[in-house]
Amino acid sequence: MSKESRRANRERLRQERIKEQKRAKRNRLLAAIGAAVAVVALVVGGGYLIMQASNGTSAEEYQGDLAPQTLQEDGSVVMAREGVQAPVVEVYADYQCSHCARFEKINGTNLKELAANGEAIVHFRPVSIFADAGAPAGANSLRGAAAARAAADYGKFVEYNDILFDNQPGGNQEGYAVEDLVAWGEEVGITDPAFAERVRSENEVVEEFVENYYPELSTKARAEIPEDRLRTMRLGDLIDWGEDNGVDSSFMDGSYVRQVLDATAAVNAKYPEGRNAFGGTPSVYINGELLGNETYSATDFPEAVRAASPGTVDTRPAAGDGSAEPSASPSASPPV
Amino acid sequence: MSTGTEENARSGSAEDTRGDGQSTSPTADSRWPAVQPWLSLAARLGLAGVLGYAGYTKLVVPALSVESVAAYELFSDGVNQFIGYTLPLFEIALALLLLTGLATRVTGAVSALLMAVFIAGIASAWARGLSIDCGCFGTGGAVDPDETAYGLDIARDLGFMALGLFLAVWPRSRFSLDRVLGLYPGSERQR
Repeated sequence: MSKESRRANRERLRQERIKEQKRAKRNRLLAAIGAAVAVVALVVGGGYLIMQASNGTSAEEYQGDLAPQTLQEDGSVVMAREGVQAPVVEVYADYQCSHCARFEKINGTNLKELAANGEAIVHFRPVSIFADAGAPAGANSLRGAAAARAAADYGKFVEYNDILFDNQPGGNQEGYAVEDLVAWGEEVGITDPAFAERVRSENEVVEEFVENYYPELSTKARAEIPEDRLRTMRLGDLIDWGEDNGVDSSFMDGSYVRQVLDATAAVNAKYPEGRNAFGGTPSVYINGELLGNETYSATDFPEAVRAASPGTVDTRPAAGDGSAEPSASPSASPPV
Repeated sequence: MSTGTEENARSGSAEDTRGDGQSTSPTADSRWPAVQPWLSLAARLGLAGVLGYAGYTKLVVPALSVESVAAYELFSDGVNQFIGYTLPLFEIALALLLLTGLATRVTGAVSALLMAVFIAGIASAWARGLSIDCGCFGTGGAVDPDETAYGLDIARDLGFMALGLFLAVWPRSRFSLDRVLGLYPGSERQR
């Protein structure tokens, strides 16, 4: 009997010890999870506060006068003080590209300031990497670029460029409607009806491109070009191929749509490979050197520009445009 | 979780109790308990590397991180901004926990859940015919339709999800804080 109860006693103690161990283990587990949650809260919360505090995206809108804008032969626009010696900042952007809008938002003010202070020669080079994306993205991209080019005819490219990026449509949205494009022209002071006319006729080219020309070209190319070769071909190559294979692109002749497509082909040829390869938009080059993450920093970007040595623009001013190419000689021209 | 308990029960009987490579004569039965903590360590470090890298590449350019989220066209601007800022931080926090091996089971499960959310997001972008980069490692946004890689992205995330699930099932691993705390010991005597 007593032997029996002693055994029961021992058994009960054993059970309690196990229970105790289990409880201790659960407490340790809860402590570990609590610590883990604390780590997450600390990293996420602390980091978020720091990021909010150092959020330098919206620098103040530039209010001063812009440096002179000079239309170039290839349809690009140089914004610089006359005769200034400064690093050349090439900005390749697509009006449908969301990162480009982001870049504009972060560094648009810096670009204007740097140019106005004679610290940079800013070379705006609109391209269309979305041209072959169909409607609506491809059409938006081309329509926006053609309208910006038309605004450059009136010396209002930079102002117009800002408005376009401010009103950028989403990737699946129809945007940059003809009526809006015309109204924005008036907003920056272009009242010539020829501008509206130009925007309309460019839109017709865009519609032809997106609805008929490119689908035909693409179908034919898929059928006739081996896939591995097709994959290496860019839109410019395809258009050239179509020219020799019965897909007529003459409807684009003389249009700004054609010009922006040529500009896109040109940048691919200019920066074909290596560290500085043109891989998409926005691509910002300082004297031909591709910028990295500085592109999206309102502080690192101007620093990188200021650290660079003077460069030369590789395009020539369009004929008939009065302004001279920024020359290599230092100039004492007053700030504009 | 039945596998987990089975594993714990089995490893409880294993000889490899005191931790430092005592396992002798690895029979078919004793090999798994000896190998599993190393496998879990590898899973921890692998997943920590992936998450840490993904978080870091997004964090260096917060604007693009926000942009990547916006490209999915699922949320409003404010929410996009919030996610764009906090997601990379969350990824880094998970990476830290995995690296140190704290609360491994929960962290593994949460990581797997996060991957499931990513997969759902990518699948929805795919289904809606968006042309975007997944933004998994910093560079997101709209891309040329020919350059989307949804299938590949999903396959990769499935792999990462498997690592997380592995840890949720077999959290016991070498060189972990959990071990110091005496969690998931498997080596503790059961009596």
